[in-house]
Amino acid sequence: MSTMGNPTNVFWHECAVGKAERQKLINQQGCVVWITGLSGSGKSTLACSLDRELHSRGKLSYVLDGDNVRHGLNKNLGFSAEDRTENIRRVGEVATLFADAGLICIASLISPYRKDRDACRAMLTDANFIEAMLLSELFSVNSVCVLLGKEAIHIIYLQVFMNMTLEVCEERDPKGLYKLARAGKIKGFTGIDDPYEPPLNCEINIEQKDGVCPTPSEMAGQVVSCLDENGFLHACN
Amino acid sequence: MAAAAKFSLIFTSSPGLDHVDPSPTKLGFANFREMSVSCQRNITSALKNLAPIKAMEASRTPPYKVDVEVKPNGRAVTNDSDGSILHETSTNGRRSTNIMWHKCSVEKIDRQELLQQKGCVIWITGLSGSGKSTVACALTQALHARGKLTYILDGDNVRHGLNCDLTFKAEDRAENIRRIGEVAKLFADAGLICIASAISPYREDRDACRSILPDGDFIEVFMDVPLCVCEARDPKGLYKLARAGKIKGFTGIDDPYEAPLNSEIVLHQEGEDCPPPDAMADKVISYLEAKGYLQA
Repeated sequence: MSTMGNPTNVFWHECAVGKAERQKLINQQGCVVWITGLSGSGKSTLACSLDRELHSRGKLSYVLDGDNVRHGLNKNLGFSAEDRTENIRRVGEVATLFADAGLICIASLISPYRKDRDACRAMLTDANFIEAMLLSELFSVNSVCVLLGKEAIHIIYLQVFMNMTLEVCEERDPKGLYKLARAGKIKGFTGIDDPYEPPLNCEINIEQKDGVCPTPSEMAGQVVSCLDENGFLHACN
Repeated sequence: MAAAAKFSLIFTSSPGLDHVDPSPTKLGFANFREMSVSCQRNITSALKNLAPIKAMEASRTPPYKVDVEVKPNGRAVTNDSDGSILHETSTNGRRSTNIMWHKCSVEKIDRQELLQQKGCVIWITGLSGSGKSTVACALTQALHARGKLTYILDGDNVRHGLNCDLTFKAEDRAENIRRIGEVAKLFADAGLICIASAISPYREDRDACRSILPDGDFIEVFMDVPLCVCEARDPKGLYKLARAGKIKGFTGIDDPYEAPLNSEIVLHQEGEDCPPPDAMADKVISYLEAKGYLQA
């Protein structure tokens, strides 16, 4: 790990209570579920639904929402490319801490650049990184859901072959941002005048079936099954 | 006193989970029968805080059923369809909590219930070598032994990850503390007892962290150890380097440490006899216990 601070002043402190002890205490294994996708693609909806589903099973999870984090930790960042990168980096670091603490940390951010998401994946040494991508009507991606060995899990994406890209997200436009972007009142808005780079390999793929979007609980169920199959919902033996 | 009553409300959409049409074409009604006027008024006013109930012709979502029980004392209790209690409100005219017919997200109170503790931030401040990390570890061990979930944000450790882009200049120290404070706040919101251990030399920065947390949830622990004692320990050899001029702006030598004026806990050491770490941890635990943080 590189440090721009003075490395001679900074030491690593170990403690007797570590990750293994914490996961035994709460009977689960910490990990990061990273939900990526366009604005309006349903990231927060899934994050919320997943959080509830996990809680109902007695599991401790926590949602890091791009919008919430930008009001606190990342309130000194804007939307330039560098700041987006820093935003993702910081969330990745915090999610890593949460995973280390034993929580199932659900990070829900547009996170449009592949390089930044990949950097987050590399942060988690156990490769307990689940990236979920929500992708609405923008890309046709061959749906290979790569997963589930001892490696981490990935993106939920909604796969649609349509000529009208962005349509569903833009039609929803839950925060009115597409309208503003189209009117030129927001610059550099992902999907309009800033790129979204879809993941090349994801662990979980969520997509429309016959033009119908899965319900929040169906989507959450898919992620929970994945977590369960990979053993995150109980402590390591 | 309201008469006891039980009834069910069925909603065809779940506000908050699915996309809520901000201008619904149809609105549903909740019909209260055999309920006291004050109870009706209370529930109706609480409903105003919710998204409108949209009657959908072809809803993809299953009906959402909420059972409401009005107890003889006038308290209305709502249960989720899986039986968990959503919320309770009193009917004494003051709305102490809102009735939430549907909870979109898991709240801090739910996580605290799960963990059987209350989230908070224990902020340990003091000179280098004053024993912050030592106390943090002892505290974590003691809390873990009691079945409590904690996490340490050690200033040094965080500078390897989240804060690896920061130096020790004054503005970077401030940013270091700000970020640790914000992360600690997230951990506390998650229900954990988060132990932040950092020199955090500037009063303004520590107070800024205090201000972002709910009252009482920021518990400042001051390691009140004289500079000469810290320097005599010099566990990392940093005072020696600082005295030799090889480190500039080292707290206590050529950068100030502003002692707290109103810490919740002071761990004091006069001379060379250091209280054992367990004893210091116990003092913090007694405080947590007295303030109710070791239960939901």
